[in-house]
Amino acid sequence: MWEFFARSLAASTIFTFAALGELIDQRSGILNVGIEGVMLFGATLGFIAAQVTGSYVIGFLVGIAIGGLLGLLHGFFSITLGADQVVVGMGIWILGFGLTTYIGNPYTGPLGMDRIPTILGLSPFFYVGLVLVIVSWFVLSKTSLGLKIRSVGENPSVAEVSGVDVTKTRYLCVTVGGMLMGLSGAIYSLYYNPVWNYNFLMGWGFIALALVFFSMWNPWILLGGSLLFGTLWQLSLNPQLVLPGVLSRYIWRTVPFVITIGVLLIISTKWFRIRWGAARPEALAVPYVKE
Amino acid sequence: MQTGLLEGIARGETVLEARGITKRFPAVVANDQIDFEIRAGEIHAILGENGAGKSTLMNILFGLLQPDEGEIYIGGKSVKFRSPLDAIDLGIGMVHQNRKLVAAHTVIENIILGHPRAGRILNLNRTGDEITELCEKYGFKIDLRAKVWQLSEGEKQVVEILKALYRGARVLILDEPTTALAPPETAKLLASIEAMARDELAIVPFITHKLPIVLAVSDRVTVLRRGKVTARLDTDRVTEKSLAKKMVGREVIFRLERTKVEKGKTILDVENLSALSDKGFLALKGVSFSVCEGEIFGIAGISGNGQHELAEVLAGLRKAEGGRVILEGQDITRSSSLERWQMGLGYIPSERTEVGSIGDFSLVENVTMNFYFDSNYSPRGIMDYRKIRKLTEGIVAEYDVVTPGPDTKAKNLSGGNLQKLILARVLSRKPRLLIANLPTQGLDVGATEFVRKKLIEAKKEKAGILLISEDLDEILSLSDWVAPVYEGEFMGIIPGDKAQRQRVGAMMAGSRPEGLET
Repeated sequence: MWEFFARSLAASTIFTFAALGELIDQRSGILNVGIEGVMLFGATLGFIAAQVTGSYVIGFLVGIAIGGLLGLLHGFFSITLGADQVVVGMGIWILGFGLTTYIGNPYTGPLGMDRIPTILGLSPFFYVGLVLVIVSWFVLSKTSLGLKIRSVGENPSVAEVSGVDVTKTRYLCVTVGGMLMGLSGAIYSLYYNPVWNYNFLMGWGFIALALVFFSMWNPWILLGGSLLFGTLWQLSLNPQLVLPGVLSRYIWRTVPFVITIGVLLIISTKWFRIRWGAARPEALAVPYVKE
Repeated sequence: MQTGLLEGIARGETVLEARGITKRFPAVVANDQIDFEIRAGEIHAILGENGAGKSTLMNILFGLLQPDEGEIYIGGKSVKFRSPLDAIDLGIGMVHQNRKLVAAHTVIENIILGHPRAGRILNLNRTGDEITELCEKYGFKIDLRAKVWQLSEGEKQVVEILKALYRGARVLILDEPTTALAPPETAKLLASIEAMARDELAIVPFITHKLPIVLAVSDRVTVLRRGKVTARLDTDRVTEKSLAKKMVGREVIFRLERTKVEKGKTILDVENLSALSDKGFLALKGVSFSVCEGEIFGIAGISGNGQHELAEVLAGLRKAEGGRVILEGQDITRSSSLERWQMGLGYIPSERTEVGSIGDFSLVENVTMNFYFDSNYSPRGIMDYRKIRKLTEGIVAEYDVVTPGPDTKAKNLSGGNLQKLILARVLSRKPRLLIANLPTQGLDVGATEFVRKKLIEAKKEKAGILLISEDLDEILSLSDWVAPVYEGEFMGIIPGDKAQRQRVGAMMAGSRPEGLET
């Protein structure tokens, strides 16, 4: 049972990192649906770098760096060129899928390095994730920078006349967001499941995307959601643990999406909007053109 | 911050001066050698019709536009604004008509956003205390922890003023400050403006209509017309009439005669009608009234009191929660909009550009929207564009719509001209009942006068007219019946000739006088 718990937590951590990156993106008004692609890049290049150099640190740094670069690329199209963010995100996913398959092919197989040790029996990244959730929550809700990020995501033209540099703020968010997504991919391929195979993620990025909507853009709910989704994912790998033979793993895998649809239904009801206001950043996925 | 330029300036000294401001746009000189100055402690209104160059001047003073020629001086020093931030840093504050606030954030977050003293970590308690102090000083009342989307228009304006003051503004530019305010809110605002002026702030309201307010508070007035200054006057030497003449360039009739038309049969009967707002609460709470031929029924109220829901229910664009609507004896509560148009209902929506027209369609196509179902214009479902084109050309000529031609896109028309087109399109169907929702909102004096005249003409032709307006003067001068609406209910229905300004104003703000027939 402990084993299952620890594995679930390790899976959750990957969701936490990727979804936190996406949450930061979205709070500034940028929608990156290409998380899966960024993660694939981070995972593949991080895997290769670690295997070639024999250093985990370099592997993770490469994962973070490529994530940041792809965040910038997505940002360049959606912020500077004002392109349709969904289309750009899909482009990054497809690019990630194709290119990592090509690049990673010679490295197919296990990583072949010593496992990263656990801390108190749990994934060390879980603790890092916890800290990141606290930091993101604090920055977003208690600091000047956070207010700027939220304003840029709600109403960029207001932010602009108030003296906030919309472009700079958004670039900052997409870069940091991309780094977190890339890191999340590297954690997958270097810790959670250190074996390279083409398209090994099979939808983790999309679950992370759903998780952001599930969280109603709140880092704490996001943390809770990632624990829930991580456990569900782990269950989908071992369906015999609960209700043996009742549900196939593929049904289990759809559960996070079903839950997210439920949450989306709730936050779009009149009841929710009257009571809590709109949770979704108002300028999400809307390109901003300076007047 | 360089607000230093304005430190220690005494009452009566010039704080901001613009000399020879010229701004050209393709095909038009928006500002032509405009001189303007404002002193500390002064309220200096800038008056002009739409298109007179007011917004251009305002944007130049706030750094949103850069002038082609001319200079701006602050505290006697020549300055250049590259962006609004430069203007803000030099002590200029702007209160936008289309509010520049983040709806999802609290009042306090909006005020502190981008403030140089915000620090890395927000200290909302300290900021709150400082803002409360400002509120007490100038008589503003506002819940600092409320979210902006929950506030009324007047409260949002207060937030904008506070934001500018908190930023250290010594010159406050107000864009159409009293539009969308109820009379009591207007009175409070004017009192606060005077309090700020006593505190050596320079106040510059930009105004298109509502001339009485200019006269009530300002010290001086600068009038713009076609990009030029046509007059600069001390307010105590002018009258409403003389100001309007300077603005429009000709005499303007203010009091339109309330023409008596012989009362005909009832056209519209509304029984206990209620409806939900977009947000899902009961916005219209059971109103009953009727409108007869040749009658203008005026509904006076500040937006958000259920009158827009009423207009939409009558037009068939919103579901009625309860009650009945009877048009010429037929129950149309559940009829579609199209059925209503065919029965002779005409609708002028308040949202000219969102509901009233399609911006990327030509004028001809926009006119078509009211005729496509008419077999005279679309025999067997095939549009007779030649006929509609002719009709459009007739409308453009008769209503004096300023446009290069009927194939111009609707989005290229000014507000006044677009409204003329919409009005003409509806009236050319000779409606039996006309619903005019805020027909003159945002129009300049000239266009307003025109629209009102047309409404009276329609009345003479025995149409029943439901007029919804925030402008109390408009309601009082045109209506045969006045119904002040507050929170979805009529506070009474008063015959037009017995409606007194003050009483109706108080009723719009929710007081329900006793002993009135309802």
